[in-house]
Amino acid sequence: MRIPPFEFKAPEHLNQALALLGRAGQGATLLAGGTDLVLGLKKKTLAPDLIISLQNLKGLDDVREENGMICIGAMATHETLAKHPLLRERADILCQAVGLIGSWQIRNAGTIGGNICNASPAGDALPPLLALDARFVVAGPDGEATLPATSFFKGPGETCLGRGRILTQVQIPLPPEHSAGCYMKMRRRKAVDISIAGVAFQAAVDETGQKIACAGIALGGVAPTPVRVGDAEDLVRGCTIDQALGRLGDIAQCCADAARPIDDIRASAHYKRTIVNVFAQRCARHVLTRLKSKRG
Amino acid sequence: MSEFDVVGKSVPQLAAREKATGDTRFVTDLVLPRMLHGRVLRSPHAHARIISIDTRKAAALPGVRAVVTHADTPKIKFGPRSEDWTIFAEDKARFHGDEIAAVAAVDPDTAEQALDLIQVEYEVLDHVVSPLEALEPGAPLVHEESPGNIAAEFNIEAGDIQKGFDRSHVIYADRFYTNQVYQAYMEPMAVLAETDLSGRVTLHTGTQIPNMMRMTYAKALGMAPENLRIVVPEYGGAFGGKMENNIHLVAAVLSQKAGLPVRLVNTRQEDFLAGNPRVPMYFDIKLGATKEGVLTAKDVRVVGGAGARLVYSQVIVSTACYRVDSLYRFKNVRARGITAYTHTVPTACYRGFGNSQSTFVLESAMDELAAALRIDPAELRMKNGVGPGETSVHGWKIGSSGLRECVEKATRAADWTRKKAEKKPFRGIGLACCNHVSGNRPFAREFDGGSAMVRVGRDGRVMVFHGESDMGQGQNTTYAQIAAETLGVPMAQVHVAQVDTDISPFGLGSFATRGTLMGGNGVMAAARKALEQLKEIAGDHLEADPGKIICKKGEFYDPDNPAQRMAFKEVASLATISRHGAPVVGTGFYKPPTQLPDPDTKKGNISPAYPFGCQIAEVEVDPDTGQVTVTRMAAAHDVGRAINPMATEGQIQGGIAQGLGWTLMEDMAYENGRLVNADFVDYIVPSAFDMPGVESILVEPVEPNGPYGAKGIGEPALNPTMAAITNAIYDATGVRITSLPVNPEQLLAKIREKQGSRC
Amino acid sequence: MTPVPVHLIVNGEAVHLTVPPNRVLLDLLREDLLLTGTKEGCGLGKCGACTVLLDGKPVHACLILALQADGCRVDTIEGMADKREGRLHPLQEAFVEKGAIQCGFCTPGMINTAKALLDENPDPDTEDIKQAIAGNLCRCTGYHKIVDAVSSCACRSHNKSNTRKADNHE
Repeated sequence: MRIPPFEFKAPEHLNQALALLGRAGQGATLLAGGTDLVLGLKKKTLAPDLIISLQNLKGLDDVREENGMICIGAMATHETLAKHPLLRERADILCQAVGLIGSWQIRNAGTIGGNICNASPAGDALPPLLALDARFVVAGPDGEATLPATSFFKGPGETCLGRGRILTQVQIPLPPEHSAGCYMKMRRRKAVDISIAGVAFQAAVDETGQKIACAGIALGGVAPTPVRVGDAEDLVRGCTIDQALGRLGDIAQCCADAARPIDDIRASAHYKRTIVNVFAQRCARHVLTRLKSKRG
Repeated sequence: MSEFDVVGKSVPQLAAREKATGDTRFVTDLVLPRMLHGRVLRSPHAHARIISIDTRKAAALPGVRAVVTHADTPKIKFGPRSEDWTIFAEDKARFHGDEIAAVAAVDPDTAEQALDLIQVEYEVLDHVVSPLEALEPGAPLVHEESPGNIAAEFNIEAGDIQKGFDRSHVIYADRFYTNQVYQAYMEPMAVLAETDLSGRVTLHTGTQIPNMMRMTYAKALGMAPENLRIVVPEYGGAFGGKMENNIHLVAAVLSQKAGLPVRLVNTRQEDFLAGNPRVPMYFDIKLGATKEGVLTAKDVRVVGGAGARLVYSQVIVSTACYRVDSLYRFKNVRARGITAYTHTVPTACYRGFGNSQSTFVLESAMDELAAALRIDPAELRMKNGVGPGETSVHGWKIGSSGLRECVEKATRAADWTRKKAEKKPFRGIGLACCNHVSGNRPFAREFDGGSAMVRVGRDGRVMVFHGESDMGQGQNTTYAQIAAETLGVPMAQVHVAQVDTDISPFGLGSFATRGTLMGGNGVMAAARKALEQLKEIAGDHLEADPGKIICKKGEFYDPDNPAQRMAFKEVASLATISRHGAPVVGTGFYKPPTQLPDPDTKKGNISPAYPFGCQIAEVEVDPDTGQVTVTRMAAAHDVGRAINPMATEGQIQGGIAQGLGWTLMEDMAYENGRLVNADFVDYIVPSAFDMPGVESILVEPVEPNGPYGAKGIGEPALNPTMAAITNAIYDATGVRITSLPVNPEQLLAKIREKQGSRC
Repeated sequence: MTPVPVHLIVNGEAVHLTVPPNRVLLDLLREDLLLTGTKEGCGLGKCGACTVLLDGKPVHACLILALQADGCRVDTIEGMADKREGRLHPLQEAFVEKGAIQCGFCTPGMINTAKALLDENPDPDTEDIKQAIAGNLCRCTGYHKIVDAVSSCACRSHNKSNTRKADNHE
């Protein structure tokens, strides 16, 4: 439970951070909020020689709208996002999800960037980001790159961020006004618990308000990475709200089929799949009903 | 209005202000000059032969002051009940978490580093975790001296169960399982040990049983009890879990070897691994009744898992065998209990002490009988409930019993009749009752009463010395209220001393819901002795008969001449002066009218008073996920008289929270003999969000043997919660929960099964 | 391991220390500053006993490196009461009076979280309170009296005058 020694740097500029990271190589780890990193240090699952903290980098924690994008700094805390007016209005599904992460204490320290780079299969922010078609801006020694969330996650704790690079920003294409989203997670107690299975469902209707123009459906906690369920999206996209409501069973089945859960101490694989099915239906019904009432 | 000035009033805990400001020094906050930090190396295996331990590298690490193993101890076998303990594992590790070695170093980082440098070579052996499997032929043995892994057996029989079952119209029989759960007190076990030049050891630790612990530990350390002193600072909860534990002895050995004070604090993980959680039990119950709903017979077989050594599990299993028999008017009962050694952490006391396990089982079975007989479950309890003045099947003399009043008041508060009649899908209501003791004669054997000293200083300040233990429940406050009421002084004048075996009386401690009644009666007796002395002085000065003088609100007077008064402080001052400085000290004790049970029949009145209770739970079950939400609880408890109603309510609410956690989420999970959820990540306890509204109802039939009529509440607060919830689940779904905790997946499968069979 | 200077404002007082990077804020408070009011219940950010306010927001002191708090305001339980006057903060007073304290080990963290809640939302309802303290485990009380204590402060700071007026009208 004690933390072995390491060196600590808190650079003030991104290029300094990148330079430090480049020089240090494999032994260096980035520190954002620390809620996962310090835990890993204490449990000895992480033992870096050097910790490079991003705490002094300016402007990495703001949230703004820019060129049809919601741009979220990687160091924005879960608590900031959960309460952010722009997100509440346009991408509430993310607010719902990060609002369910850990406790208030954890949400005050933990960051969206940390949640992404930690790449826990159960990370609550991840399914909504997939469902919202988010992209991750990554700074590296050779400049900036933008990576789609959908293909970012490779396995538990593994991403395609690449060594020597820093996630700086999350970009979410501004969802249309007539959109709605819902994130539900299964927990063993009513608050502050790891997700056993999470379902994110985001959809928008076209200008007529009749047809579903776009849909994003993603799962968490039921595979080595968060999973986007394209088949379920196909069932919804292009049909009317009522048609979609008529297909809830199929949508849910698609989601359950896409899940690749494992048995663990928290629940059996079979049960997780059952939960995905149930929550997918509930999320879909909730979103579709809201879209319907918005239209009215 | 109460006829008392202090008793029966809701007052904050004596220590509440210090606790609110962070000034209270808990065990983990204690610091002494040159204090070292201890750590324990624990077995990673459930069962393994220790081939070798090499501590040389650890000892050579700069900053390490002592490294100890079995070789550094007196190598004496000991234990609170059965001598199967050693301070460190000798030749074998017998559970994941068993003590192998320990270090003391100048700081916690160095101590942890040193642990990593100790090299232990193990030969891993087969293990057994389930008590049922432990009893099977050929199971790996935990102790070679105990063939078949049988640690203890208990048999009890009264009446004629065969006759009873023969005249039954309905009989319910099933197997139940109650799992291993962890007390999860918020402050992990901790100790600060120091050894003086004469070799005398002082342990500062949070313990429920300072005096009994001292006797056990003196033996373990090979020293006379007078060479061991135990001091009990404020500590962060216990719930049964803080009795004897090797951590204290490890610290003692480290401080002996290092010659310096050593603080040893369990990490939370270690506390899970090597604390003393609840005894897991299997029950086979058979329960009969006539068609009128009169209970005819009860037959039970209990198998409990002791873990790798006996702490108190055998006594807990015996309690599970028969304590519930005095809840109802049983005539014919039989129970057989086996305590089996297993390769898990030693199990022991946790709020309810076996009675909570058996209450879950009996109250589930009662619900099944009610369903079979088509009798209202509340009515079935009322019909069979033990009343005041009755003697139970095991010879327990029930003085006061508010059982029926508890059922009446709880059902009224919960709107039971209406809710039971209306059937809303997947909503349910369930009821369960309980009984308990206020002290347990056979537990300590030598005696079971309570005692205290009350010192009145020249300044009139009253100090109560007791040898029990305030684990955070507010016992000190209760004692202060009793002392203040008895002496006739305001609460603010009364203080309670920290328990210190050098000074305090030899109290047995806090267990068996005995603190209020036993300790409280002791305090009352001591306060009376002090008061008599003060009355003599007051009598001299007021020129009145000391026998007639009373003290109220800090003033002595003769009720026949109330105009002439003397302040308590003045009398105290005169008393001290007249005795050349000696304070007024009253020493008193309470000898309860109890009996050691007959060794053969186990008959005998084991407690001076018996609390009762009834809880009603309402639940919602999610038919798609099997998730259970408790939406409301009503809890009526017979507490004799609540000395401090606010604290009593707090006990009820806290007991329900723990019972709810046990029922719905808590479970110590083993994989390959290892505890795999030794943290608050995967061992989850209720958060504020999980708690339903709780209506607590205090039923106060004044108990003739209680101080100011009080009985205990600590354990009964939890006893009925599990069955109340699972009976509500049964009402909501038709599914009988026979195994704790409720597993949503299994519940869902059973709900689907029922739905399938209905189609 | 190179020690690094860290500057904090702890309970209103500037603190300058040089700490090894592996020091967590909790150990800095408890061991370097002897502010033992902040408790360690699990060390892994799951019980809330170590909750302190970092720039006014509740965080787990056991999961934050001391260096992460550089330049921040840290408020612990020791800074809440006016001890020279013997006066407790209204929240502390409410915890005492409502019986929200049993063993008291969770109390400092619980009060800190509650204070942050009331600072942010002076009139929280029961659900808000439960939401805020969901990460602060208490094993003694079952939370009822804690929620009551926090609620009573909400009323005191917000609704009291309204209630009084209503009473006067009757």
